[in-house]
Amino acid sequence: MEADMTADCSIAELLACFIARDLNDGEELQVGIALPIPEAAVRLAHLTHGPNMELIFLGARMNVHHLDHLPMPAFGWDNRVVRWTESFSDRGHRFDQVKDWHRRVFFVGGIQVDPHGNTNLIGVGEDYRRLRFRGPGSVGTPTLTTHVGRYYIVLNSHTPRVFVPRCDFISTVGWGEGGADARRQLGLPGGGPKYCITPLCIMDFTEDDKRLRLKSLHPGVTLDAVRARTGFDLVIPDHVPETAAPSAEELRMLRSRVDVTGALRRM
Amino acid sequence: MSGARSERLVDEDAAVALLESGMTIAIGEPTPMALVRQIVRRELRDLVVIASGLALDMLIAAGCVRKTLSYYAGGGFGVPVAPSFRRAAERGDIEVWECDEGILTSGLEAAGKDLPFLPWRGGVGTSLPAVNPDLKLITDPVRGETLLAVPAIRPDVAILHAAQSDAFGNVQHHGGPGWIDLFLQRAATRCIVQVERIVSNEAIRANPWATTIGRADAVVRLPWGAHPWYSRGWHVQDSPFLADYVAAATAAAERDEREALERWLDHWCREPATHTDYLERVGLRRLLALHEY
Repeated sequence: MEADMTADCSIAELLACFIARDLNDGEELQVGIALPIPEAAVRLAHLTHGPNMELIFLGARMNVHHLDHLPMPAFGWDNRVVRWTESFSDRGHRFDQVKDWHRRVFFVGGIQVDPHGNTNLIGVGEDYRRLRFRGPGSVGTPTLTTHVGRYYIVLNSHTPRVFVPRCDFISTVGWGEGGADARRQLGLPGGGPKYCITPLCIMDFTEDDKRLRLKSLHPGVTLDAVRARTGFDLVIPDHVPETAAPSAEELRMLRSRVDVTGALRRM
Repeated sequence: MSGARSERLVDEDAAVALLESGMTIAIGEPTPMALVRQIVRRELRDLVVIASGLALDMLIAAGCVRKTLSYYAGGGFGVPVAPSFRRAAERGDIEVWECDEGILTSGLEAAGKDLPFLPWRGGVGTSLPAVNPDLKLITDPVRGETLLAVPAIRPDVAILHAAQSDAFGNVQHHGGPGWIDLFLQRAATRCIVQVERIVSNEAIRANPWATTIGRADAVVRLPWGAHPWYSRGWHVQDSPFLADYVAAATAAAERDEREALERWLDHWCREPATHTDYLERVGLRRLLALHEY
């Protein structure tokens, strides 16, 4: 029974469980739009081991540990969020307390990522006035990633078009031009990106250069596949483990209490 | 003793008459869609808009927009990038003033405080000052840090949607204003608020702490006026309605098939002369099914 359940776990479910485990009780977890995996992850973490976590969706702050389930998708985008909200930062002071964001955790997507974890939501092309692909814009990510204690880069695809030697435009600074003090030199108080998470693998950053390094491969993914689909040289350690599978209990919680419509299973 | 206090309650025509081609119009969230539809219907042109989501995309699709101050045009209504925005930006048909939420609110706060600029840190190290030359990198004179100077952003008009107001423009939101609404109101030269209902001045004075905007310049009663978006405390968003728009706008943007989009704009924006005409087209059954509680 348990073997069956974890065997048919989707990659999106695997990633949601991976992220959930990396979140600590007491943290503030802010998720923006169009990031279903982090949305599921923060709910799962809140239910499994985070009675003192605070979830923040679009300025609505809540602790809903007492609820039987925290359904997906997005009560952040549904105005009924007010039913669970304890306070709003909407009332003209959304950015008035960034000094305390060191205890906040955040998530960003991207249409391009470079070797130092700088990301791009602006667009693709040489000429800003004539982009080949106009992206959605940076939302609040430049401000959030400047200040939050740490963030995760979460991507829906892993291709050479996404992983590029240089972003055409940078909307969030990861580790700039590289180096452990890159952010301090730029005057960015936040802790920077911790992991870069894709459908193929998990990456972290080397301690000295702050360059993307392979941390684990998802089940069935080869090192060659990751190399072929990354547009620059990743740092590859001698030993690359497989990304840890969710436990049967984590999957049960995820499916029955968070992702009740099976959105992550279908991704 | 002489005279009477002037009411700020106006009808739909008078509210829309305050909006003109060429203006900078800031559009709140939840979205004052009834007023946005009237902008399309009256064919205002060369607008500079602060908006996102459906309102932004629809106004671009209808040819009303010259420039947008944009932090985000995507995901919130079911597409990665708003289709008409994407096409117009890629072709250079509209100018984009690239920013993020923290930068935008800094510029709005500067206007409200009557300052030339306010400093902001978010965006330092990014491409934002390169693609938006209005954002200047400066060295702060106190601690010597590198920061962005965000120039004051002063919209001619902010248009907002809220729960209720009295006849004198004392506006109260149910469940709180949208995240940017009060920034827009404080920065704008004038503020027009469409509301679900008008209440007595006594009802406002019974709970003045609930007043989110004192003295809006004009209030107009447009119940269900945020449809197809949500209106907090009143109704949820009409997702299938939004999906219809996205399909039509995507066909126009990606395949140059404008027929469905024009039909959508005609049917929902250009043909209904008033908000009531619009609501009759939407239909009572559909509206009642959206009730929040």
